[in-house]
Amino acid sequence: MSFLLVNQLSRIFDLSEPWILRKIKGQQKKLLKAVDKVNFSIERGQTYALVGESGSGKSTIAMMVAGLIKPSSGFITIDGYNFFSPTIENNIKSSLRKSVQMIFQSPYASLNPRWRVGEVLKEPIKAFNLIESENGQKQRVCELLEQVGLSERDINKFPHEFSGGQRQRICIARSLASEPKLIICDEPTSALDVSVQAQVLNLLKDLQKQFSLTYLFISHDLAVVSTMANRIGVLKQGILVEEASPNKLFEKPEHDYTKMLLSAAPDIKNVSKIP
Amino acid sequence: MLEIYNLDVNLSYRGSQIKALDNLSFNVYPGEILGLVGESGAGKSMTGLAIIGLIEAPLSISRGKIIFNKQRIEQNANAFRGSKISMIFQDPLVSLNPLRTIGEQLVETIRTHIKFGRKEAIEYAKSLLEEVGIEQERFDAYPHTFSGGMRQRVVIALALAPKPSLVIADEPTTALDVSVQAQILELLKKLCRERETSIILITHDMGVIAETTDRVAVLYSGTLAEIGKTFEVLNYPQHPYTKGLIEATPRIDANSLNSKLYQIPGVMPDLKEIPVGCPFHKRCPRYIKKCVEIKPPLLNERAACWLLDNEKGLL
Repeated sequence: MSFLLVNQLSRIFDLSEPWILRKIKGQQKKLLKAVDKVNFSIERGQTYALVGESGSGKSTIAMMVAGLIKPSSGFITIDGYNFFSPTIENNIKSSLRKSVQMIFQSPYASLNPRWRVGEVLKEPIKAFNLIESENGQKQRVCELLEQVGLSERDINKFPHEFSGGQRQRICIARSLASEPKLIICDEPTSALDVSVQAQVLNLLKDLQKQFSLTYLFISHDLAVVSTMANRIGVLKQGILVEEASPNKLFEKPEHDYTKMLLSAAPDIKNVSKIP
Repeated sequence: MLEIYNLDVNLSYRGSQIKALDNLSFNVYPGEILGLVGESGAGKSMTGLAIIGLIEAPLSISRGKIIFNKQRIEQNANAFRGSKISMIFQDPLVSLNPLRTIGEQLVETIRTHIKFGRKEAIEYAKSLLEEVGIEQERFDAYPHTFSGGMRQRVVIALALAPKPSLVIADEPTTALDVSVQAQILELLKKLCRERETSIILITHDMGVIAETTDRVAVLYSGTLAEIGKTFEVLNYPQHPYTKGLIEATPRIDANSLNSKLYQIPGVMPDLKEIPVGCPFHKRCPRYIKKCVEIKPPLLNERAACWLLDNEKGLL
């Protein structure tokens, strides 16, 4: 069975006015289908990429997989467990929380500017009650910093003392703190420079091998996706219009929307000849 | 058309002078699109601001000449800003006034720079909107009713309204989706070809550079690392930094999954501690003794690298 299974997943947002105003104005309910009957699955240790423009529902899916918002219909199972199932036991729920972590788009916004790096990384360890002793916590923080290519000396620094790439490393370290199995990467490099992007993507690949992590990788950059994903799903207005391996998607895209995305993506190979 | 000679921009910081731009020289020819690339902090935007005369204390132009159509402009940029040289900024959300309709904003810009009556200006503004692909009926609409791509179209209309001969576009598509990005770049290209306007396109996306520009200048730590025709620079890079940037760029390629991306070791030095010699030598895979001691000038009118000095085109 697949590690992550998303089955007929839908999410509808209610954008209508309050009931009383609707009755006065005689309006219908206004519903927005953000995600519409999406199916996909990821095997353990693999990377699945969701691509699409803004508003296509990528992040909504990510939030449902992370258990932050509830699906309107359909279900998600992680390692066989459904987070939103009414019969789920609390200890399984908390272990699911531990095993799914997120890396966000902007490392400038996702770190508390008043917290030192050590505190940032200790937070998940404390929240999940992973290590009791103060010393053990500190040791674990140092270990995490080394795993993402930072050093023990950085433990007392504030986020503003780091560059964008280093901050994203801190975010990655934080997501690793609870020894997750699935990491949701929501456009992890779109706020970074090319050279730094290469470093972060390589780090993500290394960590995946080392800890056999499963990634749900969200991006709108097809070039980045092609270096990361084993399978790619193309989302358009909440509907998964095409799903394929990178080989097939880049060589023989079937859906018109995929073709449009591919032709729109700027590629360094398409350098125009001298006119 | 635009010539920049030995431009230095200094930043006074706690009594000392830090060089934000160091001895920068390049030209922009009529009707061409010149790309400026580099990592953040390389001085791309600083170059744009210096040309348009928006350098303010604690920054100052301490040396060098900016010559635009045979006139020096670094001292009286006000006469040129907007009318002859205009700028498009990164975020179209921030560069439009949310309290005024786009029509008002267009008419204001037009009447500041061209002697038009009110009616003429409105007429012209509407024709401009049409040109950038916005219906004339939207003339009285407020910016918040537009999508990001549409807003950037309005900003382009604003920038092109006074018929400038140079447009500086500072990451005009970074805030936009890929498909919208392609439309905006296409529009910018088309309008500038029609009007023979030159563009300086600032970006850090090598893909955009490849598909849009005629020539490209690569900046590193406030100095020019390499300049040349885009086709030549991207296919036969002469500077190790350019080469690193190109190799670090992911490509749409199904076979890249199992290979790792090339990464330039280290990070760009802080402006306060740029090393002596070539600013890139600490990250350069093949630096020689000379690189540590003396800063290389632009050699062969192409790249600032000592390796070009004795061995020809070896990279």
